[in-house]
Amino acid sequence: MLKVAIVGCGKIADSHAQQIQRTPHCEIVAACDREELMARQFCQRFRVKRQYSDLAQLLDEARPDVVHVTTPPGSHFQIGKQCLLRGVHVYIEKPFTLNSPEAEELVGLAQERNLKVTAGHDDQFRHAARRMREMIVQGYLGGPPVHMESYYCYELVETSSYARALLADKQHWVRKLPGGLLHNIISHGIARVAEFFTTDAPQVMVRGFVSPALRRLGEEEIIDELRVILSEEDRLTAYFTFSSQMRPSLHQFRVYGPRNGLVLDQDNETLIRLRGGRYKSYLEQFVPPWVFAKQYLGNAAHNVRKFLANDFHAKSGMKWLIESFYRSISEGTSPPIPYHEILRTSRIMDAIFDQLKSKPAVREPHDSISEDTVSPLV
Amino acid sequence: MESEERIIGPGARILVTGAAGFIGHRVVERLLEFGYTKLRCFSRPAGNAARIEELQRRFAGSAHIEIFKGNLLSREDCLRAVSGVELVYHLAAGRGEKMVADAFMNSVITTRNLLEACGREAGIRRFVNISSFSVYSNRGNRRGKLLDESCPMEAEPERRGDAYTFAKVKQDEIVAEYGRRFDLPYVLIRPGVVYGPGNESIHGRVGIGTFGIFLHLGGSNTLPLTYVDNCADAIVLSGLKPGVDGEVFNVVDDDLPSSRRFLRLYKRNVKQFKSLYVPHAISYALCCLWEKYSAWSQGQLPPVYNRKTWCAYWRKTRYTNQKLKSRLGWNPRVSAPEALSRHFESCRKKLRRA
Repeated sequence: MLKVAIVGCGKIADSHAQQIQRTPHCEIVAACDREELMARQFCQRFRVKRQYSDLAQLLDEARPDVVHVTTPPGSHFQIGKQCLLRGVHVYIEKPFTLNSPEAEELVGLAQERNLKVTAGHDDQFRHAARRMREMIVQGYLGGPPVHMESYYCYELVETSSYARALLADKQHWVRKLPGGLLHNIISHGIARVAEFFTTDAPQVMVRGFVSPALRRLGEEEIIDELRVILSEEDRLTAYFTFSSQMRPSLHQFRVYGPRNGLVLDQDNETLIRLRGGRYKSYLEQFVPPWVFAKQYLGNAAHNVRKFLANDFHAKSGMKWLIESFYRSISEGTSPPIPYHEILRTSRIMDAIFDQLKSKPAVREPHDSISEDTVSPLV
Repeated sequence: MESEERIIGPGARILVTGAAGFIGHRVVERLLEFGYTKLRCFSRPAGNAARIEELQRRFAGSAHIEIFKGNLLSREDCLRAVSGVELVYHLAAGRGEKMVADAFMNSVITTRNLLEACGREAGIRRFVNISSFSVYSNRGNRRGKLLDESCPMEAEPERRGDAYTFAKVKQDEIVAEYGRRFDLPYVLIRPGVVYGPGNESIHGRVGIGTFGIFLHLGGSNTLPLTYVDNCADAIVLSGLKPGVDGEVFNVVDDDLPSSRRFLRLYKRNVKQFKSLYVPHAISYALCCLWEKYSAWSQGQLPPVYNRKTWCAYWRKTRYTNQKLKSRLGWNPRVSAPEALSRHFESCRKKLRRA
């Protein structure tokens, strides 16, 4: 039985607790939050026996095998490090750390001490995402990917409680992150493209700005529109889009190989095959719509089957990631997310935020992306 | 209420949290009408204080209305806010949060911070906490039984599947706990469904529109409505009346309409839409099924509909405002027909704006 502890009892901790409690052979033995009342309410709702407001005390007394770090990102590194130094495996919510040097140190520490660490990129392990990975491994693309497009949007509307809190509070912790709002959200979408790059130094070109909608609300600091071009040795390219204003608010990943392509839609939980070949003459306009219709029907049937089989929870990806991570601990196998992917995601995010900082968010309409915004990652 | 019957004089400083909100600005207005001249209105840094600014203009020269920008999650802000204060009306609360942690933080942690600050401030005469009807269990009550201030609170609020209820129960508990700890006099006010201009949505006690068609669940149930101006009066009185420390007051108006009548009037006066009446036996069975499926599936459907929710919202229940009238001398200043008329007018205006 794996003993699990949760550090940070905010809202994402609820998802972790729900998925851990669905996972066999483990138990949440303790929870910790600097705010005692937050720890108390969490322990009451999830029937956790021990509550703490001091991490060192938790590690001493509850002696967990794994700690889930679900605090705001600014504290991920210190908490992760403290746990690893005490010989405890660590699952850290996204974003993994504030920057890549911190990520490298944590990964290095884990390897040095023969411990496991993972990042909370659970969207990568939802049903359709796992089917996509399987098809790529089986060679559906016809070779290594040539181009990718990752959309990871967020509806930042005035009426949402998150937006209200963020826009109202100039001291909000999200604003203090190196990448601000983007830092807290985009790692899911960046991790999707990071998975298929092979070097650690893809080139990054960035354009980011404050949307007119936010400006109308008097906001001048929060960059909520981001476009990124990534490339690797003239072999593989990717576009990344984050938008708070475009509709539909997509969470989509498109990957194209030399023969075929795939479209993963996270919101609809669909995976669509894009056939590289063409039909003759007018058949190209008559046949593919039927083929797509059949594929969408197949996806719908698949989703319904999963629901009826009680395997379609909103956080199914997190459950899969937690199970795989725990298995890697108990069986001594590789963790579900390779470390080089965690680090690559972190480095790409560093490069994006560095470029955003070097260029002001407010730009003239004619201002274009110039050569100096291209920076190889080292 | 005569001024000599109040626990504080007109020169005492009063703090109102959530002062710019739906009920809060009316509480401030009522206090000004009662002759209080030193009001501190707590508002979030970027909160819209337009309503308070309007009161500042109206009462310029006769009262000092201070807009205090701060965050109740900050202990320092709370300490500064209660400095020199004799009476606290705590109306600020986390509303609309779907996640328990958010609701808890914005209702319980904030209240704890304010109570701690009050504990350090020697001159606090009373802390008025605004709670809600949602804290009552109503599970053990027989059908049609009276729900009054003696009814038990929800013992397992975590199983109601509702972040707001959980936070409100915990908020009431912490007020009682810190009241004892700091020997701080307090009063708990539990309004029913507060309606009026500023809150135009149809309450869940009438029905829900979640599934594409409006399901009318209330049927012949009495709705525990209180018009916002009447509710503000009750809140103000509960802070001023001597001899009510430690008491709980439910707030509902006279002549309460049934859910069916309210829905019919809404359709006639605001807009027509299709609704489907679900008899109580069926809605109870559906809530049971939902609860069991949610537990069996380990949350594939969230446990938002369950027997506890059904008892709290849709069980046939009677309500009383007897204690409010006898102990606080409250009477609804706006009659039920007039209140409904004003409410529907406001709904129509909102619809036109949309």
